[in-house]
Amino acid sequence: MTRRVPSPRRPRRPHPAERGVAPVDLMLLDGATSQALEAGRTRLIAVGLLFCLAFGIIGLRVVDLALLRDGNEPRLAAEAGRKTLMTDRADIVDRNGIVLATSLPTASLYANPRQVRDPEATAAALAEVLADVNPVVLAGKLSSDRSFVWLKRNLTPREHYEVNRLGVPGLDFKREEQRVYPHGALLTHVLGLVDVDNQGIAGMEKRFDGELRGGTEPLALSIDLRLQHILSEELHGAMTAFEAIGAAGMILDARSGEVLAMSSLPSFAPQQAGRASEEARFNRAALGVYEMGSVFKIFTTALALESGALTLADGFDTSEPIRVARHTIRDYKPKNRWLSIPEIFVYSSNIGTVHMAMESGTEAQQGFLDSLGLMTPAAIELPEVGAPMLPSPWREINTMTISFGHGMAVSPVQLTSAVASVVNGGELRPATLLKRPEGATSGGRRVISKATSEKMRWLMRQVVLQGTGGKAAAPGYLVGGKTGTADKLRDGRYSRGSRIASFVGAFPMHDPRYVIFAMVDEPKGQKQSYGYATGGWVAAPAVGRVVERIAPLVGIKPIPVRMEEEGEESDLMVQASAEGFAFAFE
Amino acid sequence: MSRLAAVLWIFSAALIAVVLFVLKYEVQRLERELQLVSRQIVVDQQAVHVLKAEWSYLNRPARIADLAARHLHLEPLSTAQIVEIEAVPTRPVPGVKPPPPRKFVNAERRP
Repeated sequence: MTRRVPSPRRPRRPHPAERGVAPVDLMLLDGATSQALEAGRTRLIAVGLLFCLAFGIIGLRVVDLALLRDGNEPRLAAEAGRKTLMTDRADIVDRNGIVLATSLPTASLYANPRQVRDPEATAAALAEVLADVNPVVLAGKLSSDRSFVWLKRNLTPREHYEVNRLGVPGLDFKREEQRVYPHGALLTHVLGLVDVDNQGIAGMEKRFDGELRGGTEPLALSIDLRLQHILSEELHGAMTAFEAIGAAGMILDARSGEVLAMSSLPSFAPQQAGRASEEARFNRAALGVYEMGSVFKIFTTALALESGALTLADGFDTSEPIRVARHTIRDYKPKNRWLSIPEIFVYSSNIGTVHMAMESGTEAQQGFLDSLGLMTPAAIELPEVGAPMLPSPWREINTMTISFGHGMAVSPVQLTSAVASVVNGGELRPATLLKRPEGATSGGRRVISKATSEKMRWLMRQVVLQGTGGKAAAPGYLVGGKTGTADKLRDGRYSRGSRIASFVGAFPMHDPRYVIFAMVDEPKGQKQSYGYATGGWVAAPAVGRVVERIAPLVGIKPIPVRMEEEGEESDLMVQASAEGFAFAFE
Repeated sequence: MSRLAAVLWIFSAALIAVVLFVLKYEVQRLERELQLVSRQIVVDQQAVHVLKAEWSYLNRPARIADLAARHLHLEPLSTAQIVEIEAVPTRPVPGVKPPPPRKFVNAERRP
């Protein structure tokens, strides 16, 4: 552009018209020529300026595009890196990241019959590679006059590949998604189900339906799959050994309230949800409420010790059955003598426990059970949660029967978290199925003092060492707990033949990490149990085996105790005073 | 002088044009490549997704237990197999009477 502007240093070259003409003549040019020249110059300058402006704008735009505007590249680069796979529904994983539920793409086979040349041959070929299809039906579909027919929904990858390999024209696939549960019946009651449109209709799938459908982040549950398998297997073992109709169990982290395993048997595989019986669909661990029997003595004893009404040195005469109104309260295995509080607990004396409850009083009992969360439905995330059954009105006789676990029905979830709060130092944390961050133990509500909790732990340990829960012992892991056997209500009457046998335990008892609950529904007495079908014979061994199997997995060191100290423990029973107890290894 | 300048200008203009076109085609090629890679990433992610489900399925605890029982000659660890380091006797020194070993057993035995 600058080239057009004459340089001031160079003398202006004479115009051809000016050559050979004297400078004087220049002055004589007539007005018309001079005007034309002037006009030409002006136009030249105008056009030159216009070009300058245009090139200037283009230059600026180039600078703007190349340097100033953030170009496409950073966006493209970022996009390439953060692309995550979009599925209709996010995964559900266990606490260790193992996939529990996922959505897999499946191909559904359809055909355009007008393009199929030989329906018979195509149908025959398809029947060979597809499972459970009828070639006659297929041929009928393929020879119809429509332009779209479904041949089979949700093919397996192998079938997809085989059909592709056939290379038959007129067949095509439609991409769909199918919810898959790799672990089958193991976790059905926790995970729940989805319907054909992939909408949650039960369990966590229902509770977190919105989150799962919107998100790509997997939902991490508190469940530990390994523990779930062990619990489920041992419950199944107890169920078959005692010809029971069902079983339920839980493993709870005593410190955080996380549910590490929750099992309800019989169960069913989600793929066969349509064929599952009502019995199998029922979640006994969260939805079922049961009269728990002697397990409730934990709460009665804790209340008596916490309120200061009694100390470990107190006791009651248990030789006389208690008669109230038309009822008589007896002991299952009467000792017929004065028993100390530890003895009442360890030998599971109903009479003694009723006396303890009467010392505390009805109001205190109600308040305490309420503070333990036993009077309101459990706050667990499942949509299927059973409400406890409470007596109304709450008479003195109810206080008495509830003290040993009859006349009030609670769900295993409620019971297990309440027991966890008694043994973990006295803080109640609602049971949760969602994984909590490591070491997050806030949010506890104090229900009993640390001292009472320690006494209760010692008492529960004695139950396993020398009481009804002996079969829950797992050498080295200091299991403690309480057995429970409750007759089931049949047509308004308690029947001896059908009962609930349960055991709730914790370990290691000096600093409980895990609370384990096992319950077997209607066990029948067996030869190997000498006809007994009580909590101590049915549920306690299952809990003992669970402890033995999970302790090495979760990294709990067994505690060896010196041989000389072994014999001392049986004496503690009678001598136990408020302060005079200790764990054998301390 | 002015001719040289003109030649330089024309040459540089031509050079810039060539470079521009080379760059443009290079960018187009890279964009195609990026598209291919992105598509491949999605395919791979889908494959990984399916494989994760399969991995979880193959790692069913019941199946692992069955495989371990059939192929490994191992048993569950019993607590009797775990001892404290103090329970291990020290190496005997000739001429020195070794201290009596401390006896450790487990807190309870199976009934």
